[in-house]
Amino acid sequence: MQKREEGPTRPTSTSTPGRWLRIRNGGPPRHGGGRKLSAARRSSITRTPHKSTMASTSAPWQWPVPRPLQQLFDSFPLVTYAATELPARSQPATSDSVPTLYVFASEADARLGAPSFNPGCLKWQTFLRLAGVTFRILPSTNHASPTGALPFLLPARPNTTPIPATKLHTYALQHGTCPPSEPSTLRLDAYHSLLDLPLRNAWLHALYLNPAHTSLLDTFYTAPASSSPWIRDALRLQLRRAAEAEILKTGSYLSAAAAGTAVVDGKQVYEGAREALEALAALLAESETGWFFGAQRPTLFDAGVFAFTYLMVRYMDGEGGLGGMVKGAGDGELEGHRRRVLEAARWGGEK
Amino acid sequence: MMMLELHVWGPAFGLPSIDPESLAAIAFITQTAPRDQYQFIQSSPSAVPTHQLPTLYNPNSQTYHSGYPSITSHLLSLYPPSSPPSRKTAADSTAYSAFLTAHAAPLLALSLYVSSTNWSSTVRPAYSKILPFPLGWTEPPAIRAAMSRRAAHLGMSSLDTDATAEREEAEREAAVAQGWVNLPKGLGKGVGGALAPEQRARIRLEGLAGEVLGVLGEVEWKEEEVGTRCLAWAYLALMMVPDVPRGWLGETIKGKYARLGDFVDGGLGEPWRRWWARRKLKVTGRVDALQEESGELWRMAGMGVALVVSALLWKKLPQLGEPVQIWQKPLSGFLGLGAAGIMLGHLAETTVVDHWR
Repeated sequence: MQKREEGPTRPTSTSTPGRWLRIRNGGPPRHGGGRKLSAARRSSITRTPHKSTMASTSAPWQWPVPRPLQQLFDSFPLVTYAATELPARSQPATSDSVPTLYVFASEADARLGAPSFNPGCLKWQTFLRLAGVTFRILPSTNHASPTGALPFLLPARPNTTPIPATKLHTYALQHGTCPPSEPSTLRLDAYHSLLDLPLRNAWLHALYLNPAHTSLLDTFYTAPASSSPWIRDALRLQLRRAAEAEILKTGSYLSAAAAGTAVVDGKQVYEGAREALEALAALLAESETGWFFGAQRPTLFDAGVFAFTYLMVRYMDGEGGLGGMVKGAGDGELEGHRRRVLEAARWGGEK
Repeated sequence: MMMLELHVWGPAFGLPSIDPESLAAIAFITQTAPRDQYQFIQSSPSAVPTHQLPTLYNPNSQTYHSGYPSITSHLLSLYPPSSPPSRKTAADSTAYSAFLTAHAAPLLALSLYVSSTNWSSTVRPAYSKILPFPLGWTEPPAIRAAMSRRAAHLGMSSLDTDATAEREEAEREAAVAQGWVNLPKGLGKGVGGALAPEQRARIRLEGLAGEVLGVLGEVEWKEEEVGTRCLAWAYLALMMVPDVPRGWLGETIKGKYARLGDFVDGGLGEPWRRWWARRKLKVTGRVDALQEESGELWRMAGMGVALVVSALLWKKLPQLGEPVQIWQKPLSGFLGLGAAGIMLGHLAETTVVDHWR
C-alpha cells in the first residue's frame, strides 16, 4: 500500500505525467515482490546458467503472493501450545527402574499386579513371581510387542531391549532371587504337549467358540479395543475364526480339511481336556513334594499348568465347565496344586 | 450279529492306510475286536456323514465315532480290556498320544507332504490310486495345504520347491519383460543351488527329527496302552516304510534310533503280525474286495459326494492346476466333415437317442 501511495507523489516530484503513467502500467505492481523475483532470477542465473531460460519463463507459482494473503498466512499458527506431557501410565516405560512385563490385563488388575486373563501371559507372570523377580505389569496388546505376541518384558533402564517370551526363562534365572531348577526328563516334553494341545484347544473353544462365554470374551478382548458395537462384532468374528482355525490346525481334523468341511467337535475337545487333566493329576500324585516331577520348588511346568487351571476355575466354574473338570480331576490334586501356586506366587488374596 | 464298519483312507506304500490315524485305527481294531465283528471300508472324508476319517460306524447304536480318540474309547467300551491300566500308564498314554499328535504329525507332514519331491513322486500318485476320479483331483491338494499349515511353525517351507520355483520363474519373466540380459537357468547358483533343498537343510531336519524321535525312542512301547502303542506305530511306520526319493526321515530313524525301527518291524505283537502277514499275501485281491464292500456306500453317498465335489470345484478351482484345463471332446466322426457333417452328426445323435429309448 505504501508503494501505491508513492505512485502519485512521483509525478509531482518529476512533474512528468508520461513517466507516472509508465510506472503505473508497466512497472512492477509491488515493489517488494518485484525485488524478490529479480533476486531469485539473478541467483538462478549465476548458479545454473543453463536453466536460465526456464527460470525466465517461470511457472505460475513463482508469481508473487498478493500482500493481503501473505499477511493472512503470516499470522498462522495463531497459537502454539506447549508440548503435552506423556500420559501418566507411560512413565514407567520411559523412566522407571523396575522391569515391566506387558500382558493382557485390565487396567485395574494391572495396578494390583493381579493374574492376567491370558494363559500364555499368566504362565510367565507366575513364573517370574515364583523366581522372585521384581517387576510390574502393564496392560498391552499384541500390536505393541516386537515379536507380535504378548508377553514381553522391558528390563530396567537404561537397558531398553525388550525380552520376548522365549528368552524370559533365561532372564528369570539371571535376575530372580530364588530361581527354580528345571527338571530335565523326556517325559516332561510329552506332558508338556498336554498343555499345548488338549488344554489349549479346550480353553480356545470355551472362551471363543462357546456362546455361553461371549460376555467373557467381550470383557477380555473386544471391549477394551473399541467402544463401537460394529467394530466389536467384527473383532469378535475375527477372533472366533482365528480360534477355530487354530483348533483345526492342531487337532486331528486333517481329513475334514480335505472335504472342505472342517467343523470343530466341541464334545471331542472337552473329552480331550478331561483326559489331559486326569493325566496331569496322576502325574502330580506321583510326586511327593507337591510339585510336578518331584521338584523341590515350583518350576516352569507348574506355572504352565497353573495358568490353565487357575483361569478355568476362576472364569468357567459353572455346571459342566472346565473349572469343574479341574476340580474333579483325580482326587483333587490339581485344585490343591492351584492353591499352592497361588500361595507360592504371593497371590494370597486371590481365590 | 454286529458288524462294525471302520471307514478309513485306502492303502498305500504297502501299508494298510495312507493316513496315520486310519492306520492306527486299523491296528487297534485288529487287536481288540474279534475278527468277524468288523469290516474295513476304504473311503474318502466326503463319503462319510462326519466328513472325517477314520470313522467307526456302529450299526447297533447307529452312531458314528470320528477321530482316533473317540474310536478307541468306543471300542474299549465295547470290548473292555481284561485288566484296566494303572493310573500311571493311563496318564503316560494320554501324554504320549498328545505328543504324537502335536509333534510327530508335523514331522511326518514335512517328510511326505511339504517336500515337493516326495509329494509329487510318491504321495500324490498314492492318493490318485485310492481315490475315484473327481476326488483324486480335488482332495489331495487340500490335504497337502492342510498338512503344510500344520507344519508351518517348523519353518521348513523351503522344502516346498514348487513354491520357490514359481517365484523364481516369475522373477525371470519380470526380468525378461524389462529387457534385461538373462543368464541361462541354473547358472550362478553355486554349489548350494545344485543341492536339493532337503540336502541343504539336512542338519536342521535331523535336529527337528531328533527332538521328536529322542522322546519317542526312550519309551517302552510294550508297556503303554494299546491305543497309544498303535498310534506311535502308525506314525513311525509312515515315517519309515514309504520309499520316497528324499528319505531323510526314514534314514534318521534307521541310523540313530534303531529301537524305533525294531518297533516298527515287529512291535505290535503276535495277532497283528498274523493279520498283517495274511493281508500282505492277498493284498492285490484284497483291494478289489475292499472296493466292492464299499460300493454300496459309494452309491448311497453319491449325492453327497457330488455336492461336496461341486462345492470344492466352485471354491478351489485354481487348485486343480494352473492354467485351468478344460477337456474337450475332440471332433470326430461326422463333425469333422464341415456343414454336411454337422447335419449328419445331428442325424446320428437322434438315432442314438432313439436307440436309448
